[in-house]
Amino acid sequence: MDLHTWALILFTLLGQMAVGAFLVLGVVHTVALRRHESALVDRLTDRSLLAIGPVLVLAFIASLFHLGSPTIAFRAVTNVETSWLAREIVTGVAFLVLGGAFALLQWRKIGSFAARRTLAVVAAIVGVAFVLSMAAIYMLPTQPAWNTAATPIAFLATALLLGTLAVGVAFIASYAYLRRHDDERVEALTGLLQRSLRWLGVGAVALVAVQLVTVPLHVAALSAAGGAAADSAAQMLQGGGLVLGLRLVLAVAGAAIVGALVLRSFREPLPVRTMSAVVPAAFGVVLISELLGRYLFYAANVPIVI
Amino acid sequence: MAQEQLAFFIDLDTCVGCKACQIACKDKNDLDLDQLYKRVVEYVGGDWKKDGDAWVSNVYAYHVPVQCMHCEDAPCVDACPTGASTKRDEDGVVVIDQDACIGCRYCEWACPYGARAYDADEGKMGKCDFCEDYLANGEDPACVAACPLRAIDYGPLEELEAAHGDLKAVAPLPDADISHPSVVFKPHPDARRAADDPGAIANLEEL
Repeated sequence: MDLHTWALILFTLLGQMAVGAFLVLGVVHTVALRRHESALVDRLTDRSLLAIGPVLVLAFIASLFHLGSPTIAFRAVTNVETSWLAREIVTGVAFLVLGGAFALLQWRKIGSFAARRTLAVVAAIVGVAFVLSMAAIYMLPTQPAWNTAATPIAFLATALLLGTLAVGVAFIASYAYLRRHDDERVEALTGLLQRSLRWLGVGAVALVAVQLVTVPLHVAALSAAGGAAADSAAQMLQGGGLVLGLRLVLAVAGAAIVGALVLRSFREPLPVRTMSAVVPAAFGVVLISELLGRYLFYAANVPIVI
Repeated sequence: MAQEQLAFFIDLDTCVGCKACQIACKDKNDLDLDQLYKRVVEYVGGDWKKDGDAWVSNVYAYHVPVQCMHCEDAPCVDACPTGASTKRDEDGVVVIDQDACIGCRYCEWACPYGARAYDADEGKMGKCDFCEDYLANGEDPACVAACPLRAIDYGPLEELEAAHGDLKAVAPLPDADISHPSVVFKPHPDARRAADDPGAIANLEEL
C-alpha cells in the first residue's frame, strides 16, 4: 500500500476521532452538569476540548499527502454542487472553524452558556455531516464493497469508539495535570473522573459489540453477492483472515479490559493508578484495531472496473 | 445534456485485437509506461464440450477496445471536487482542466470503465479527450485513424445509434445504466456465448 492510501487511512481515522470526541465530550458535559456545578465539570472537560482541534488539523495535513498536487488543495471546495469529496472538505473545515470557535469561547468563558451551547450543537451537527460526507464518497456503484450501509455504520462506530476512548485518555491527562498543579478542587474531581470513565467504558464496550455484529455481517453479505463484492470479501479473508481476525481480537481485548474496569467500578471506587493504566492501554489497542480495519477497507476493496 | 453528444462506434466483429489504437493513443498523448488512455481487453471463455462421442470446441475469444466513454451521466464529473472534470457543452466530450486537477484520484474510483490514467510524475489525472485538438483541426482521433481494420468510428451519438443500434455494454464491460456511455458496439458473434458461458479477461496484467 502506497503513501497516498496511508494518508487516507490517517485522515479518515483522525477526522472521525475528532468528531466522535466532540460528540462524546458534549454528552459527558451535559450529563455531568446534572450532578455537578459547571466550574468543576469544565475543569475536566475544557482541556480535553482543546485537544480536538490539533487532531483535526493533523488529519487535514495527512490528507494533503493523498493528493498529487497538494499545493492547489484549496480547489477541492469548488464543486460542492455534486461532489461528496468537496462536501467532505467543506463540512470538515466548517467543523474545525465552528468547533474551534466554541472551544475558544468555552475556554475563555466568553458569551452566555446558552449561546455557547447553541454553537456547540451546530458544530456537532456539522461534524456528523462531515463523517457522513466521508462515507458517501465511498458509496459508488463501481465499488460494491464500499457501496453499502456498512460504510456509514463503520465510520460512525469508529468515530464514537475512538472518540469515547480518546476523551477517557484526555480526562486522565487533565486530571493528572490538575493534581500536579495542586488544584484545590482535585479531590472533588476524582469522583467525577471515576463516574465519567465508568460510563465511557460502557459506551466503548457497546460500540465494540456493534462492530462485532456489523463487520462479519458485511463480509458475509459481500460473499453472498458474488462478483467483485465476493472478490472483496475473499481479499478480507485472505491468509485465513489474519488481519481481519487480529482487528476484531484487538477490539475485543480493548473492550474486555475496559469492561473489567467498569465492573470493578460498581464494587469499589476505582484507584486513579488503575484508571490511568487501563484507559490509555485500551485506547492504544483499539487504535491499532481501527488502523487494521481501515487498512483492510482500502486494501481489500475490489472495484467492478476493468 | 450536450447539444450534440460525440460518441465512438466500435465494431467488435471486425476488431482483431492488434492494439494499433492503443499504441497510436499512447504515442499521441506521449504517455508514460504505466499510463494508457485506451486499452484493448481480451475476453476469453468456453471449453471443449462432449457431444455424443465427439468433443466439440466451444472456445471463444474477442477484443474490446476501452477508453473514456464520455458518458451522458459521467460519474467522474460529479465526483470531481474541483470541477476540473467537465462535460463540454458543444459535444459532450469529458475533459480535464489540468490546472484545476489536484490529483485526488476520486474520479478514478467513480469511473466504471477504468478509463482514467493517473500521471504520478505530474500529480494529475489524464484520460482520452477525444483528441480534441485533432477534432478542432478537422482530423480524426488518433485511434480512429490508426485502426487498420476501420473498426473504430466516431460521430454524433444519435447518428451512430441510427446506423448501428444501441448496444452499449458487452462482457466484460459493466452495466451501461451506471453512466450511459456515449458508445455503440457492434458485437462479436461470440458475445452471445459470453452470456451463457462467461469467460474472463485474459490480458489483465497488460491493462
